[in-house]
Amino acid sequence: MPASNSISVAVICSSNMNRSMEAHAFLSKKGFNVKSFGTGDKVKLPGNAPDRPNIYDFGTTYEDIYNDLLTKDKQYYTQNGLLHMLDRNRRIKSKPERFQLSKDKFDILITCEERVYDQVIECMESRSQEDNQTAHLINIDIQDNHEEATVGSFLICELVSVLANSDDLDNDIDELLHEFESKFDKSILHTVLFY
Amino acid sequence: MDPRIHRRVEPEKSAGDMVVEWLNEASICGNEAVKVQNLCKTQEILLNKEPLLLNMYLDEMLQFAIDRNAEVRKTIAGFIEDLGEKKPEVIPRIILVLIRLITDPTPVVAKRALRASGRILRATLKWAASAPIVTPDMENAWAQISGLKIQIINMIDSDNDGIRTQALKFLEGVVLIQTYPDPDSPKKPDDFSLEDVPLTLKIARRRKLEEEANHVMDLLIKFYGSPHVSSVNLITCMGSLSLIAKMRPQFMPNVIQAMQRLQSDLPPTLSDSQVTSVQKQLKLTLFSLLKHPASIEYAQPLARQLTQLGCKETEILKYFPKPEDIKKVKKRQQENVAAAIAAKKARIEIPVMSAEESEAVPLPVPPPKLPDLIELSDTFISERLSVEIATELVMDSMAWVPDTMTSIFQREYQPTATTDITKQRQVIGKLLAVQIKQAKAKKIKSDSKEVDIVMEDLIKNPSITVAEVKRERKREKDREKEQQAKASLEAHEKSLAKARSRLKSLKLSEVTKPLLKDARDKMLLMAVNRILATEKSGILGGVSNTRMKILTTLAATFNPYVKEAILRHITEDMRTRLELALCWLYEEYALLQGFQRRTILCSKPTEAPHQAYNFLLCTLVSAIDTIPGKDRDGLLARLYLEAPLITEDAVEALKTVSSEESRGLAPLQLLKELVVRRPTKQLIFLNVLLCHTGHENSMIRENAIQLVVQLYGRSELCKLIEEYAVLYLGFLRLPSPPEIVFGQDRGRPQIEDNWTESTTRACLSLYLALLTEHHILIHELARVYTSMSADVKRIVLRLVESPVRTLGMASPQLLELVENCPKGAETLITRIIHILTEKAPPSAELVARVRELYQTRVSDVRFLIPVLNGLSKKEVIAALPKLIKLNPIVVKEVFNKLLMTHNNDSGIPHTSPVTPAELLIALHNIESSKAELKTVIKATSLCFAEKQIFTQEIVAVVMQQLMDMTPLPTLLMRTVIQSLSLYPRLSGFVMNILQRLILKQVWKQPKVWEGFVKCCERTQPQSFAVILQLPPAQLIEALKMAPNIRGPLVSHVESFADNQKAHIPQSIMDVIKGKPPILMHDDFDIAPPGDFPIERQDSADFENLEPAPPGLD
Repeated sequence: MPASNSISVAVICSSNMNRSMEAHAFLSKKGFNVKSFGTGDKVKLPGNAPDRPNIYDFGTTYEDIYNDLLTKDKQYYTQNGLLHMLDRNRRIKSKPERFQLSKDKFDILITCEERVYDQVIECMESRSQEDNQTAHLINIDIQDNHEEATVGSFLICELVSVLANSDDLDNDIDELLHEFESKFDKSILHTVLFY
Repeated sequence: MDPRIHRRVEPEKSAGDMVVEWLNEASICGNEAVKVQNLCKTQEILLNKEPLLLNMYLDEMLQFAIDRNAEVRKTIAGFIEDLGEKKPEVIPRIILVLIRLITDPTPVVAKRALRASGRILRATLKWAASAPIVTPDMENAWAQISGLKIQIINMIDSDNDGIRTQALKFLEGVVLIQTYPDPDSPKKPDDFSLEDVPLTLKIARRRKLEEEANHVMDLLIKFYGSPHVSSVNLITCMGSLSLIAKMRPQFMPNVIQAMQRLQSDLPPTLSDSQVTSVQKQLKLTLFSLLKHPASIEYAQPLARQLTQLGCKETEILKYFPKPEDIKKVKKRQQENVAAAIAAKKARIEIPVMSAEESEAVPLPVPPPKLPDLIELSDTFISERLSVEIATELVMDSMAWVPDTMTSIFQREYQPTATTDITKQRQVIGKLLAVQIKQAKAKKIKSDSKEVDIVMEDLIKNPSITVAEVKRERKREKDREKEQQAKASLEAHEKSLAKARSRLKSLKLSEVTKPLLKDARDKMLLMAVNRILATEKSGILGGVSNTRMKILTTLAATFNPYVKEAILRHITEDMRTRLELALCWLYEEYALLQGFQRRTILCSKPTEAPHQAYNFLLCTLVSAIDTIPGKDRDGLLARLYLEAPLITEDAVEALKTVSSEESRGLAPLQLLKELVVRRPTKQLIFLNVLLCHTGHENSMIRENAIQLVVQLYGRSELCKLIEEYAVLYLGFLRLPSPPEIVFGQDRGRPQIEDNWTESTTRACLSLYLALLTEHHILIHELARVYTSMSADVKRIVLRLVESPVRTLGMASPQLLELVENCPKGAETLITRIIHILTEKAPPSAELVARVRELYQTRVSDVRFLIPVLNGLSKKEVIAALPKLIKLNPIVVKEVFNKLLMTHNNDSGIPHTSPVTPAELLIALHNIESSKAELKTVIKATSLCFAEKQIFTQEIVAVVMQQLMDMTPLPTLLMRTVIQSLSLYPRLSGFVMNILQRLILKQVWKQPKVWEGFVKCCERTQPQSFAVILQLPPAQLIEALKMAPNIRGPLVSHVESFADNQKAHIPQSIMDVIKGKPPILMHDDFDIAPPGDFPIERQDSADFENLEPAPPGLD
């Protein structure tokens, strides 16, 4: 098995829409074994006013959301890129997934903001431990917009490639992360979780 | 479970064959993936599909543990883990493999093996605990496990970080398994702990295990505090410790202490971001500990620690245990103490029974685990059921035998058929064993029904009394228990009562039904009214601000009735409650702007968003409007200046207010203030103010203009104001006034078709006011003027007076205008120059400009009038013929200008370029070609009308000078006559003149001659002396012209003395007497010497009348 496929990666953001999906798309293109999740209660997308976001349940498919926005205000949502984003998302998978409900196990969990990082820790701690398989939780702060998401996905890919190439990840991760931090001048959070 | 399991199984082959095939392939094949896949498939078959094959192929599987490929070894470790969990009986066979894998040189394998070890340990202990008999295999395995433990404990100092991590997790598992769980917390279903380890387990004594766990715990804490620990391990260890603390609260104090130590002393080896990660983890861990009920006693230090980590107070408070929880815990502790005491009491009893039993059944080993030992114990009992014991049991239970035989007993009791004592013993022993077992299982809490069944069972038996004894004992014990419970209940009745009452009140709130809407609204309103009534006490108590805040929040968010009540409260006394009103306004504003995310209970979706705000503001404005007295203006100003937003309606209201004359200057002043202080709405207020500059009412108009002019000085506004003024000025070009100047707000409700002074003022006043500030505007006025209708022009000329006066003639713009006078604006320019020169002499520049204009472009003499005084004498005289042709009134004014010696304001005597005498002379000298005689006559008569100026002396001088001219001016005699009629005293002088005229042969100029005669006629009798001096021919002519003088003349001559008569030439006398004239004297032109005395007399007469004017001699 090629090294890049042997580790399983989860990219997690709040709504499993923009940042995590951008990274998901990018990583899967690079051949990684990747999944993406959101940790929020609902899937939230910006609406036509700051106080009126579009909110969906996590079960709603990207297709449905796409059609909903299309009927609401096609021009507006085309212009702000939401429709384009949803179009990309529905090609990758059918619907947003909530991390808390997932039963999959991963070697590396990457979150896109500190709040999500906290939620992942909280979720993992509330589960009862099974087999102590380790998972490294890493947070890279990415602002929630299209441009930053793209830049962030490059960063994540870079990081994942580095980690995937390690023979003994648990032993090397501190060093690798330190290198990564100093290379991109980006501060990251890291912790270890157990399934 | 490994996700890569391949579940497809080829149906045509048997499972065993497939396993063989896979294993063979795996051992031969060099491909890692194939090997792993095959092993996984085999694992699936062996563990789940065909467990029977396991024994057969287990060793083959384990062979792969020494495979060269790490991935394969790892898979085997996973296999061992699963196997140990599912089939603990094979643990003895796999444990050695596991131990070998743990020391595997590849960290991945070692880690996997470590993970497996944790679960194997657990599985082994479980297996041992549940097995009825400890087999040598088990003992062996346990010994190996213990060795494994020691090995792993040493591994927390491994060089590999990941191995250390897994070792830590293993140790965490050790601690959790080998300690007692918290009795208070609910037991998790899969939690396995020391409690589940039977006391009787020989190989693993509870006390030993616990000791070991405590030791491991100490190790963990020590590791946690070591300075060289890596970030990952630190976090892992932190997680383990917190998990242990939560699952085994007895370690809570130690763990919290360790956390505190860590916080103050982080390992120095961590990088910056690792420090952040660790601190973050620590924070989360502390929060989770704080949440746990067992940490209540340590809540304070935990909170302090969290604060040090930079957590917010509110966040901490969210997780901080509630005070009642803390109390509850304390109470529970007390209860526990009490229960412990009670338990001790109970234990005093329990040994009695166990002593009995142990006496009766002296087991070689401690009581074995019950469920599995039924057979054992009944043989034990039957073997040891001695006569003494049986007797005692019977004696004890006698008291419990019912008086009458129960029906169940009757029905079911069958006497024992056999008489074999050993068999009977066995039966009794069995029954007793069942009894003991049940008693234990139910923890001596059997309910009566089961007791009945037990009883029946026993009753079947001959040794009925044994059952009775049992029952009695049970009953007694139950009673004791009840008493204990009662005692403990009583002991805590007080605190419980308290708790109960609290509970009740809680229940009340659940039970209560919601009030009806009406009642609720009514009560709400009443509450609001009570708050409103506390105005004074609120101030006295120093909480007026809080009160205000409450009221504003209520007003802004509650239903309309509440709003209304508060609004009424405010409007009752605007003076003191304006503050509250403003607060409310701000609250509404905040809601309107969405600064506050609060549900508004009363908003209707159809309402415009600022409806509530607007309504409130307008209501306040109208409320202030009704206040009498001076306060009104102050309050209004404050409201408008302090309100966060002035809506359109409020502007409209202010406009209405400011257009009321009775309100005076204040509202206008307020408008101006608003323009200055509210830059965003500046233009709106300015517009209102500008609108008022065209108001019908002069007071409002003038004040508004004055304020606008003040604002005009501000650079940002001047352009706008100017544009407005120019626009309105432009309206004056229209044939009729535009609709815009009419309307209620302008004070002209009716639309008129023609320009009136009022409408003209409306359009012009502001402009003129600005003109005084900004002289350059005058050009535009002149331009517009040319296209105005005549009526408007007239009004404009009138209105322009005062601004032009303030302008002054020194203004360069004005001078420029005069210089470049647009065609058609002459009247305006004339008017302007006129106004300027009315009270002051024209300045040299002005004169120069006017002169130039007159000479080069517009030859209208009227231009010159205002500046006449500035012109030279020559110019004035040159213009005179034209001037006198003008309207008599104008001419009069011209003369006034020229002649009036009025002093101007500065007191400098005004000097005219011409003296009155010169003027009069000039008039006389006007050639008939330039002006008709008639007009000149009129002009002269105007002069004579000015008696103040044309005094006797001046007239005399004029006449004197005119006399000297040749030819004589036509109007000479007319002037003489007029002078004479004005100043009869001049008669002597006139006589003199007449005489001199004779010398000048006055008759040669017919007009003058005519006048001469007329004069003589009028001045008779004095003129007789003159007449007599005429040559006879002329005398005849004169007499012809004035026949009526002949008579008096004759009588005059007659009255002469003779010597006097002698002086009169005969020819004259003849003429007088009507004799035909002698023509020989025709050429006589020198007065005869006889004239002198008469002349002397005349001059004497003259002297008597008036002193000779100076310079006459």
